[in-house]
Amino acid sequence: MTLTIVRLYHDLLSTYGDQGNAEVLVHRAAARGMAVSLLEVTPDDAVPTSGDIYLLGGGEDGPQSVALDLLAKDGGLNQAAQAGATVFAVCAGFQIIGASLPGAGGLIVDGLGLVDAVTQYDARPRSVGEVVVRYRGDMTEPLLTGFENHQGVTRISPAMAPLGDVLRGVGNGLDDTDGWSGVEGVHHGNVFGTYMHGPALARNPQLADAVLESAVGPLADFDDAWAEAFAAERRATLWR
Amino acid sequence: MRLTLARLAGALAGFASRTAGRGRGETLRGRVTLAVDPDALRKLARKRDIVLVSGTNGKTTTTALLAKILAEGTGEPVATSVHGANMLAGVASVLSSRPGHRLAVIECDELYLPQVYRDVAPKVVVLLNLSRDQLHRTGEVRKVAQLWHDTFTSDDVSLIIDRDDPFLEFAAARAGHVIRVTFGGRRHPDAATCPACARIMDWSTGDYRCECGLGSATATVRGDRSLSGPGRNAVLAVEAARLMGAAIDAAAAVALAQHPPDRRAVHQIDGVAVDTRLAKNPASWRGALESCTSPAVILAVNARGIDGRDTSWLWDVDFGTLRGRTVVCTGDRRLDVAYRLHVQGIGVSVAESVAAAVAAAGPNVTAIASYTAFQDLAAADLGISQRSGGRP
Repeated sequence: MTLTIVRLYHDLLSTYGDQGNAEVLVHRAAARGMAVSLLEVTPDDAVPTSGDIYLLGGGEDGPQSVALDLLAKDGGLNQAAQAGATVFAVCAGFQIIGASLPGAGGLIVDGLGLVDAVTQYDARPRSVGEVVVRYRGDMTEPLLTGFENHQGVTRISPAMAPLGDVLRGVGNGLDDTDGWSGVEGVHHGNVFGTYMHGPALARNPQLADAVLESAVGPLADFDDAWAEAFAAERRATLWR
Repeated sequence: MRLTLARLAGALAGFASRTAGRGRGETLRGRVTLAVDPDALRKLARKRDIVLVSGTNGKTTTTALLAKILAEGTGEPVATSVHGANMLAGVASVLSSRPGHRLAVIECDELYLPQVYRDVAPKVVVLLNLSRDQLHRTGEVRKVAQLWHDTFTSDDVSLIIDRDDPFLEFAAARAGHVIRVTFGGRRHPDAATCPACARIMDWSTGDYRCECGLGSATATVRGDRSLSGPGRNAVLAVEAARLMGAAIDAAAAVALAQHPPDRRAVHQIDGVAVDTRLAKNPASWRGALESCTSPAVILAVNARGIDGRDTSWLWDVDFGTLRGRTVVCTGDRRLDVAYRLHVQGIGVSVAESVAAAVAAAGPNVTAIASYTAFQDLAAADLGISQRSGGRP
């Protein structure tokens, strides 16, 4: 079997090096002996529905609106996600997969609705800085690190699990009562959303493996000393 | 009277700072001047002919080059920025320290450009380029372009821009006088959509066109397509110098563009001559990698304030040209760099200090360094050990 990773709209959604997530997934899958194919989808292409993992990156407001329009009209990503494909969406991409978000001119528009999450802009300054998150699932090393840089506040519905709990930084921001939600991202079925750049899967090899496992099942061990050293240095510098 | 006091206080503070060995004193001098007279910038700029230089990459070198050719071409002294001090205090310091010079060439930070423009009323503004840089501080590229677009709305200044950059074309869209320089077009990695109307732009010809009309204005000056980034900046500097009255013949202009000054230095570290280039963002890293051919390369990256605190941009740079060469990563964020290259299939090692990196790299070595890492290499040249503990 060939693992197909689909990277969506590099030109629109890659402001913060998020294409590194694709490179890391390819690297870690290939290291396990998997055949991997990385499909680059441009705004001129139809979104294929047969992919195993779909990646959405961060982007500026204008390109984000364009990407959302294209994905909503195409319908391929929604179809693939409903059929159980893995989606890993970062920042602008995380906002896009939610129920609603600010669109062009700040008007609230419908998102793709892959997760029940509502993004709003408020008057607070942008959330910019290092983030440390304790992953909600069972992981030998549950601490994740990333770098957030976003204006939006994203409220996930009680039916949705976050990716994790924030130990440092802002993450999703405020909850329904305008108190701190203390959570970061979303993890619903095979759909992952996060505000963590870094890129997140480079800084957190265990999260990269969780994303791969959601697509292909249990993975063989792979001890990548450079990946582990980098992730450990970030955790040590930021948290412990 | 207040200005006189402000200038005197600033000069004293700058002198005291230098004497105490605490840096070069320019920024402090300007800060004190502005504290005593908040209107100092406007007053200091009166009756002078000022050029402002701004953009993501090449501000400092282009400002220095422009000041030099303007002075040579006019025979007049030119006040100019030194050491890249480019915010309000730096600008005040330049004007305050050379009150008698009619001509001034001033480097200006992108975010301070609107205020400096309003205060000093320049004759010419040179806009070099805009691309992603220090996203933690400046926010998005489009926001800087919008800020400039909202600033240049009158006909009392002439802009000189590289129109191949759609963000600059948008920044200049409402300005009265614009000299557009083209090098024949080249894909801008951050400009898939139009800065003016957000539509997807047509880049099929290697140049951009948008349905809204952005990109359709005719260029005045055509430069050589094959020029490097510093070479393109030199072409803009020559145009600015000519508008300000410098006589520069065609042969001299070509020579300046073919062999422009670059932000580099050769440091002697433990007996090894290390050819060192400054690289601050994806665009300048690509430029530095293109021109780097030595068998051994040191990549030195920190993420302290001025470097940009987010290192994600490392994944926006293709390091493929380093495959098969000796690569040593150093700086606070050496593991970010090492892992990025490792995933690209490039063998690397890491070193905890500049000295250790030089020892590991061998004699024929180039270093590419982020801003503060560049300073660490200069410090190593002077025998000062690398600053430690600067954890981001």
